[in-house]
Amino acid sequence: MIKVENLTKQFKKNVVLKNISLSIEQNEVIVVIGPSGGGKSTFLRCLNSLEKPTFGKIYFNDLDINDKNNDINKIREKISMVFQQFNLFPHKTALENIILAPIKLNIMNIEEATKRGIELLDLVGLSDKANEYPKNLSGGQKQRVAIARSLAMQPDVILFDEPTSALDPEMIKEVLDVMKGLVGKVTMIVVTHEMNFAKEVGTRLLFLDSGEVIEDSKPLAFFNDPQTDRAKSFLDKIL
Amino acid sequence: MILLDISKLYDFSFFFNQQVILDLISGLFCTLSIAFFGIIIGIIIGIILAIGKLVGNKFVRGVVTVYINFVRGTPLLLQLYMLYYVPAFIWHEMSGASLNWSNYIVGMLAVGLNSAAYVGEIFRAGINSVDKGQFEAASSLGFDYKTSLKLIIMPQAIKNILPALGNEFIALTKETAIISVIGARDLMFYSKQATAITYNPFTPLFMAGILYFIVVYSLTKGVSIIERKFAND
Ligand SMILES: Nc1ncnc2c1ncn2[C@@H]1O[C@H](COP(=O)(O)OP(=O)(O)OP(=O)(O)O)[C@@H](O)[C@H]1O
Ligand SMILES: [Mg+2]
Repeated sequence: MIKVENLTKQFKKNVVLKNISLSIEQNEVIVVIGPSGGGKSTFLRCLNSLEKPTFGKIYFNDLDINDKNNDINKIREKISMVFQQFNLFPHKTALENIILAPIKLNIMNIEEATKRGIELLDLVGLSDKANEYPKNLSGGQKQRVAIARSLAMQPDVILFDEPTSALDPEMIKEVLDVMKGLVGKVTMIVVTHEMNFAKEVGTRLLFLDSGEVIEDSKPLAFFNDPQTDRAKSFLDKIL
Repeated sequence: MILLDISKLYDFSFFFNQQVILDLISGLFCTLSIAFFGIIIGIIIGIILAIGKLVGNKFVRGVVTVYINFVRGTPLLLQLYMLYYVPAFIWHEMSGASLNWSNYIVGMLAVGLNSAAYVGEIFRAGINSVDKGQFEAASSLGFDYKTSLKLIIMPQAIKNILPALGNEFIALTKETAIISVIGARDLMFYSKQATAITYNPFTPLFMAGILYFIVVYSLTKGVSIIERKFAND
């Protein structure tokens, strides 16, 4: 579904991703972990072309996403993203946040989109907040709306960049629970520091350090028996 | 020895000079219309400049930057004279005929083209003031740049843009007085003329001052109402 070939990303002289190659199959739940500054966000942002690779190619369903002949906006309809800071549209209500893109991008008409939007709010447990503006929602509620918003486009892949890192501890669970509910329905690539989530629902784990995929393994295998010294010292620090 | 005939300071006899009063009123309308059309020109060209700077290629961005820096880095009076003399000179060199641009039009263009540089920066700063994450969220849903700008960014930027535009309009209204130097018949022009007609340097200028003040003060009030409205929601 996603194929990464020799992905290298530099910011000026700073090489942030070094020659990464891998492929991702449908309905995988990939957790990406690693030390701060290791390139996790940059990797994720390359997958939907928010960052352009310096070298290498990224294919989504065999389409080169950075090829000018392929409409990146059409591709992004199928690869949505959930951000650490939620990035809800503050001038739109929760429901409007969810239905804006399906309507304006002519995926659904207003009635269909609204019906679907209400279902999605129900799915994330926020039926009663449809007409609230983001400023009146808690962090956990905002992130759940953001997940519903990304689901509204019926994406094949959702990229999560530390979706719970900006949340108070008591709100983390409600967001992770919503994410767990998506397993098997959509391909998920999740940058996270939630190791229990990684163990519980991850089908595959990427350990990213200094721009390299140091380990690519099953989460349980990674935590119980890390193969590299770098992974070992990382786990020592966080566990 | 009498240095100053104090009575001149409160000599309002020119109130009875109907021509002077009519002149001042027509001057006021000239000032208002120059300010109005000036800001319209400023907004239209300013938006084009902002778009050029945000999405233009290197060449377009370069041209826009030079324009904005030139306008903001030189006196309006110089720009006014350039617009007044240079096109007329070129026209004359090329066709041998003289260019009959009214000084009203030249003044309006000078004020508008000058304002465009400031308006362009107001729009650009307003757009840049919106969190980058908003653009990213919009893009990640599949919106192109133009649609993101229209649906997501501008509705948020506008609360910074409108008050700044209002302040630009106020500054511009005051600066229009400069067009009197090329003979455009605005409030400043007629108040100077009235001092000559009535041999009274004080009261006509004082009258003009009051008229400018009323206009500018009302605009200031309007801007602060807009500001408060946006601060509330
Ligand atoms: N837009 C940018 N311009 C320049 N350098 C950048 C940019 N974005 C990221 N970097 C640099 O790239 C490196 C990797 O950053 P990245 O955000 O991908 O790391 P990360 O693994 O997500 O870290 P964290 O856990 O702190 O979020 C860092 O050194 C960062 O300073
Ligand atoms: Mg990051």
